[in-house]
Amino acid sequence: MLKGIGSSEGYGIGKVLIVKEQSLYFVPRSDCDPERELERYKKAVDEFCNKTKQVAEHLKEAVGEQEAGIINSHIVMIKDPYMNEEIEKLIQAGHCAESALASVCHKFSNMFSSAKDELTKQRAVDVHDIKNTVLSILLGAEETDISSAPENTILVAKDLTPSMTACINKDNISGIITETGGRTSHSAIIARAMEIPAVLSVENITGILSNGDTVIVNGSDGVIIQSPNEEQIEEYAKKRVDFIEERKALYEFVGRETTTADGIKLELLGNIRNTHDAVNVIECDGEGIGLFRTEFLFMGRSSAPDEEEQFEEYKRAAIIMKNKPVIIRTLDVGGDKAIPYLKIKKEDNYFLGCRGVRYCLKNKSMYKKQLRAIIRASAFGDVRILLPLVTSVDEVRQVRKMIQKIMDELSQKGVAYNKNLKVGVMMETSAACLVADLLAKEADFFSIGTNDLTQYIMCADRGNADVAYLCSTYNPAVIRSIKYIIECGKNAGIPVGMCGEAASDKYMIPLLISFGLDEFSVNGSSVLYTRKVISQWTKSQADEVAKLVSEADTEQEIVRILKENANKT
Amino acid sequence: MVSKELTILSDDGLHMRPAGELADAMGKYNCDVTIDYDGSSIDAKSIIQIMAACIKGRSKILIRCDGKDEEQALKEALKILD
Repeated sequence: MLKGIGSSEGYGIGKVLIVKEQSLYFVPRSDCDPERELERYKKAVDEFCNKTKQVAEHLKEAVGEQEAGIINSHIVMIKDPYMNEEIEKLIQAGHCAESALASVCHKFSNMFSSAKDELTKQRAVDVHDIKNTVLSILLGAEETDISSAPENTILVAKDLTPSMTACINKDNISGIITETGGRTSHSAIIARAMEIPAVLSVENITGILSNGDTVIVNGSDGVIIQSPNEEQIEEYAKKRVDFIEERKALYEFVGRETTTADGIKLELLGNIRNTHDAVNVIECDGEGIGLFRTEFLFMGRSSAPDEEEQFEEYKRAAIIMKNKPVIIRTLDVGGDKAIPYLKIKKEDNYFLGCRGVRYCLKNKSMYKKQLRAIIRASAFGDVRILLPLVTSVDEVRQVRKMIQKIMDELSQKGVAYNKNLKVGVMMETSAACLVADLLAKEADFFSIGTNDLTQYIMCADRGNADVAYLCSTYNPAVIRSIKYIIECGKNAGIPVGMCGEAASDKYMIPLLISFGLDEFSVNGSSVLYTRKVISQWTKSQADEVAKLVSEADTEQEIVRILKENANKT
Repeated sequence: MVSKELTILSDDGLHMRPAGELADAMGKYNCDVTIDYDGSSIDAKSIIQIMAACIKGRSKILIRCDGKDEEQALKEALKILD
């Protein structure tokens, strides 16, 4: 079994076709006839433009205007007067077309990759793609012909270039595996648009597999199974059929409101780690962001992002969501999350240690930067703040005080922000649950985090296999807690949401409907599924299930009741 | 020479697609088209120069057209950037 990044959901079984990387090797020469080289170069550029136009046309049909627009700008780039001037200068000096092109592209690619702006940095990849395509035309390199690939082909490549993807016949390609790229790369976007399962970033896969090998591509989990046995093939063939059928059934829910069978309107939002995920939430028809896990902006780097960088990220999320809610949870770290530069002390019991809002309030200068960035971003959409791991009213008041002070400062400087910015509380500790009535008076909204709530209510470490059996949301103690939190929110007139896994659990959904949960926040890929499950229940049916559950004494009994009833709808 | 100051409305700034559209359109005119931004002058016929300038959303730029068909060029540039 090989692991990669699942970049397009679904399951594919087939035979490997390795797309050979073209050799773009050439001998740089500097004693050429300028006239001849210039003509070669111009011819290659013409061919490049024609090819690229075709690719753009294809993408427009298969994927959409936006992707096509990006490819079209490759044509503008190769015709750039500034770039052409440089290339012509080198050719006039006797360099061959190949080396003139390569050295100028190299220069521009470096210029882009050293830019501060993230979007500009990514343009280096475009220059690289352009260079390789024109080089392959100049060198007459042969491309593997993908368009004639037989049925059930799994494409395996270092990376898929735009011109390769344009040749994909989606009826014949049942999976894609590459060595580079992630969920937001060109190949991933194409694969999702064409509904071809894809696993990207699998190291050395073009060396590991050979043409004709049978493999299974599990794009949902980001896994490749090499030479599967008959049982596995049968298992995945079934998974594939089920997946396709389910996807078809879910399409009916695109663009629909999220309502129960008897018409109660609910909110269905998405959980994200960064703005790339936000785009994915839109693709999946989410109605906003219910949980922006900002700790991911702090991970995998050597220093904390400054206010400006955070502001740009939050602002972008707000703009992407266009006035739909964007609930930003402030930094939620603790001893279990390895971010060395935060210098979190080693703790014996980090789940009960300095984490969540406790850490934030202890590191106020850093926290202030984050709050300022979020408050400034509130001028660009319906941005809201969510506080993690709250256990007391006092914590909420302290943060509110900081927020008020920042707002006063911003007002003085004339910086725009939303004066009615909502501040919510994560309900995920036993303490918060017990004082939910008090917190409801301090907060503008609640969001129940079921994963942590379960662990703290059950007093069982999520990561400890010996007590894992206790970490179930179906425990009467957890269900009562959820019910009480929602009740307290209702009594105070504030909306209550849920952003843990339970929000997309088909067994939990009837209980949540019955208790009166207002907002469900789920992973992008679960949006349509959750909308479908919600649409299958009426309030009175859900109430019946909740009543049975309230009379049950054990977790097992509750699971049995929920399963039996889920199958009835 | 004709010129006009304007604010980039797109929040994402002047990125690849609009930059490409602008450079492509300006290339057809027989006049110099320059963008003044943040202390530097950018050739608006060059997508590479425009992108390298990282023109941010909501920032002010000055467009200058100088040459035979400067009026039409400015008109089209404003149309693209609006």
